[in-house]
Amino acid sequence: MKKKINLNRPEISSEEILKRKNFDSVLKQTTSVGAKPLLKKPWFLSSVVAVSIAIVATVVLLNKNKTPENVQIQEEIIVTDDAALQAFYKAEEAKPCISPPIAGLNVNYTTYKIIAEKGASLDFKTGSKITIPKNAFVDEKGNVLKGEIELRYREFHDAVDFFVSGIPMTYDSAGVKYQFESAGMMEILAYQNGKQVNMAPKKSIDVELASNYKGTEYNLYKLDTNANNWSCLGKDKVKEAEPTSVQKSLSAQAGDTKIEETPAYVALETKKVEVKKEKEIQMAILPKPIAEPMKPEQVKKGKPTFDLDVDPKEFPELSIYKGILFEVGEENKNFNTSMYDITWEEASIKEGSKSGENYNLTLKKGLKKYDLIVYPVFEGKNYETAIKTYQEKFNKYKTTLDKRIAEEKRIEELYQEKIAFLKAKQDAIIREEKRRMANQYAQMETTQKVMRMFAVNSFGVYNSDCPSFYPKGVICTANIKNELNKNLMCYDVYLVDNEKNGLFTYYKNPIARFSFNPKSKNILWAVENGVLYWLKPEQFATIVNGEGEKNLVLNKVAQKFESVEEMKTFFNF
Amino acid sequence: MIETSKYHATQTDLANEQAIVEAAKKDASKFGSLYDKYYEQIFRYIYQRVDDKEQAFDATQQVFIKALESLHKYEFRGVPFASWLYRIASSEVNNVYRAQKQRTVNIDSVGVYGVIEEIGETKIDQYHDKIVDIIGKELPEDELQLIEMRFFEKRSFKEIGEILDITENNAKVKTYRILEKLKKIIK
Repeated sequence: MKKKINLNRPEISSEEILKRKNFDSVLKQTTSVGAKPLLKKPWFLSSVVAVSIAIVATVVLLNKNKTPENVQIQEEIIVTDDAALQAFYKAEEAKPCISPPIAGLNVNYTTYKIIAEKGASLDFKTGSKITIPKNAFVDEKGNVLKGEIELRYREFHDAVDFFVSGIPMTYDSAGVKYQFESAGMMEILAYQNGKQVNMAPKKSIDVELASNYKGTEYNLYKLDTNANNWSCLGKDKVKEAEPTSVQKSLSAQAGDTKIEETPAYVALETKKVEVKKEKEIQMAILPKPIAEPMKPEQVKKGKPTFDLDVDPKEFPELSIYKGILFEVGEENKNFNTSMYDITWEEASIKEGSKSGENYNLTLKKGLKKYDLIVYPVFEGKNYETAIKTYQEKFNKYKTTLDKRIAEEKRIEELYQEKIAFLKAKQDAIIREEKRRMANQYAQMETTQKVMRMFAVNSFGVYNSDCPSFYPKGVICTANIKNELNKNLMCYDVYLVDNEKNGLFTYYKNPIARFSFNPKSKNILWAVENGVLYWLKPEQFATIVNGEGEKNLVLNKVAQKFESVEEMKTFFNF
Repeated sequence: MIETSKYHATQTDLANEQAIVEAAKKDASKFGSLYDKYYEQIFRYIYQRVDDKEQAFDATQQVFIKALESLHKYEFRGVPFASWLYRIASSEVNNVYRAQKQRTVNIDSVGVYGVIEEIGETKIDQYHDKIVDIIGKELPEDELQLIEMRFFEKRSFKEIGEILDITENNAKVKTYRILEKLKKIIK
């Protein structure tokens, strides 16, 4: 069987795994043994998609005087006789104003608990700030609320955020439809005991929304979910952003090299100490080296010598030789030959200043005492014998010494290898930690540009936006199909243009008429029954302006996104 | 690496678990606590052996469905209930291989360092890629499983034995034979 090797695949967190637990589904599928799992029964959609779309007329209100490249698609009106399609449209149009297209995938709220009578100043992870005044909340009857209030807050900064949230990015101004280009959008909601509450009259919440867009062409809009449209509230203010406490802490954390204090690193450091101790023990238990034998010297002619008996236990280096004499050294200026004539009562010898080379001889008689430095020497045959003995002993000494040196070298090399191994592991930890810190820096960079400042006097969705039109350049009338060449049953088709921070929505599909800027990098998204399909940027190159109706096969996204971040990674946001 | 082993069950644990199994045979909803207890480890076992996360989640769900459907056949043998689930998981993983005609080997460098250490070598730069290559391409399935469990999943020999239905000692002996083999190959 073929094998695929993945090296160092990222791990999945327990949190992510546990999120997918669904015991009810196990029970459900177990009790219906033999039946196909419900999720594998695309009964509704297969039947719907199978319906042929017989009569579809598209009337597009275009400025006929313009060339196709420059025309601006304003609105589409699709007329169909197909009952199934009409029912589908009706169902789609009956959906709430905010309808996330993919179940389970949305921008998460951050929840803050505040005390109503105290107010609060809150920092959001992107750098945004929210300032809530005291007593800013009322119930449905207008009574000022006290106690704990739960604030739910989230932000939307790019096409993926806009898309997954299901918040419409279309603005109808006196019958003219615009597409929003956003400098940032936020939603703020308040609850007490699980019940939604309102903002008190004459109170407002100050918002400093972190944004990557510095322009002053943006207006502030609030989403009216009943009218399914945005209300323009005027202009917001822009100021340069300062690092927030969150960012400062991130910065401090990133700048402060504390990698050496991480448990993994410390464990390896401990291991290094253990390895060193192990080496020292191994060195200590090596056999002790034998003493280097003293090289015999021949007696110098005319030099005075003493013939002494020495204790072999006290001087093992001398015990291997026979016939040792002790020659009086040149340094003994007080020596004279008359010393030979004295019968000394005591003669003792000690190791001299040059170990193994000279000795201190002390001669005593009565009150007389002489200290002499003497050198062991040999005479005649005794010298020859001593040299032979020396050679034998030296060879033995050399062999054991070499063996020990080799053993010490082996232990040292093994130690160095182990240390290098541990060091490599530590380096890997440092590399990983630095990569993580670099990501944090990058995150800080992108969240530290400007603050768009405004005040809100009710809860809901606010958008710092600039109305614009659909991208221009190429117009395509397309049958949006899946990989099986079946029409995708999707009401909305979304165009992402990487030069514009918006989400351009084309309605009433699967026959889509859309325009795009061929010079931009574009993506088209469509969702059928919660499954995401996309037209890749390179596929746009196959679309020719004015070529008539075209079959566009969208690619199914097999990956089920667990988070908005996963989707952003997938689409390189 | 995230530890996958939760195998250190006392006799009391085993008895309690068996009581839950018996209760679940009569009332399927009682199976929930076993599902909660073993979901993550069964998922990690499967995910270690397949390429796609979604596939691993689907297969994990199938393991529990099959376990619940076959629960009446389950007999307590003095080992954790998990070992039975692992057998079902192993069979589910084999189904994935058959369908895809491909076996996925997920290797992490820390595990490879462990192998290198265990065979008494310390030159990681020299041996890392070689070991990855041998594990991924040359080891037969039974040997690959042992190396996977011991070094990439950090399982004890006791646990490996219970999952593979061999003795703890046998698991140990077999693993060290494979390490000896690896040592010879890389030299």
